[in-house]
Amino acid sequence: MILGLQVIALVFALVMIYFAYLHYRRGEINGLEILFWLTAWMGAIFIAIFPEAFRAFSATIAVNRAFDLAMIGAFILVIPTVYVSYIRTKRIEKKIEDLVRKESLKPLDELQKNRKST
Amino acid sequence: MKIYLVIPAYNEAKRIDNLLESLKGVNLPVILVDDGSFDKTFQLAKKYPVTVLRHKVNLGKGAALKTGCEAAILLGASAVILMDSDGQHKASDLPKFVGKISMETYDVVFGSRNLNIGVPLVRYIGNKIESVLISLLYGIYISDPICGFRAMTKKAYQKMKLESAGYDIETEMVIKTKHFGFKYCEVPVETVYYDKFKGVTILDALGIFTNILKWKIFK
Repeated sequence: MILGLQVIALVFALVMIYFAYLHYRRGEINGLEILFWLTAWMGAIFIAIFPEAFRAFSATIAVNRAFDLAMIGAFILVIPTVYVSYIRTKRIEKKIEDLVRKESLKPLDELQKNRKST
Repeated sequence: MKIYLVIPAYNEAKRIDNLLESLKGVNLPVILVDDGSFDKTFQLAKKYPVTVLRHKVNLGKGAALKTGCEAAILLGASAVILMDSDGQHKASDLPKFVGKISMETYDVVFGSRNLNIGVPLVRYIGNKIESVLISLLYGIYISDPICGFRAMTKKAYQKMKLESAGYDIETEMVIKTKHFGFKYCEVPVETVYYDKFKGVTILDALGIFTNILKWKIFK
């Protein structure tokens, strides 16, 4: 059972490393970002291969079960990522709105300019 | 007082002809904002003596209204009347808004549909819950806070600095009317629902309710 979970976690982490590398090669994420994701997924691989080490670590910070610590870690990673995505989406939405609205008013602006100049 | 009629439109090719025909007798300059329709709304509207603007992509009713209001102000409007493009509002009600806003006693005039006649039950309940919620949280009771038929002065529009891009713009107007202490009134308007799939959906309504709470907490 544990071995099955380990294999799933390992495959998942490797796939995610591949995606991170792919986006890095496409220039969609920078060097610092690839480093962050590589570290995160390498950490996940280490935990998947050596769960005992992780168990010992979780005991030292007073978290009883290694799985609980993994969940806490995942939340710490996921919540800020979702938040940053949300803020960025809002920012992009606003920029698109401003751009499209400005563009739609262009004919009127030009009309006004022509009126003033004549 | 120079009053412009602002109409946001999205995929209204079926009804835009009827609406613009009905406005022919109305002595008001019209600005129609096509909010990125993929049907022939823009081309059909172009045939009429109205100013037609177009969003290249669909942004939402709020964004189209803001574009229309800004265009009206650019053209010298001192007040705007906002009207839906799906034909649910009647041109015969326009003089009520013109009358009230021309008096210069009111900054904002809200249209108020008779919600007891012809309004789907879900919309009726949602509308009433919203009225009560806004009243409790902000201290302003408008019997039909999401009715798109309304008028406001240039001063009120510019002071409001509306942010919403979607259907929540109407609620934002109500809340900002109270916030800035604008003088307002309601006028009864006639409504006919043609399409139960268009307009505010349950998801939109949930978004509006979330925003009502959000604006209270964060502003």
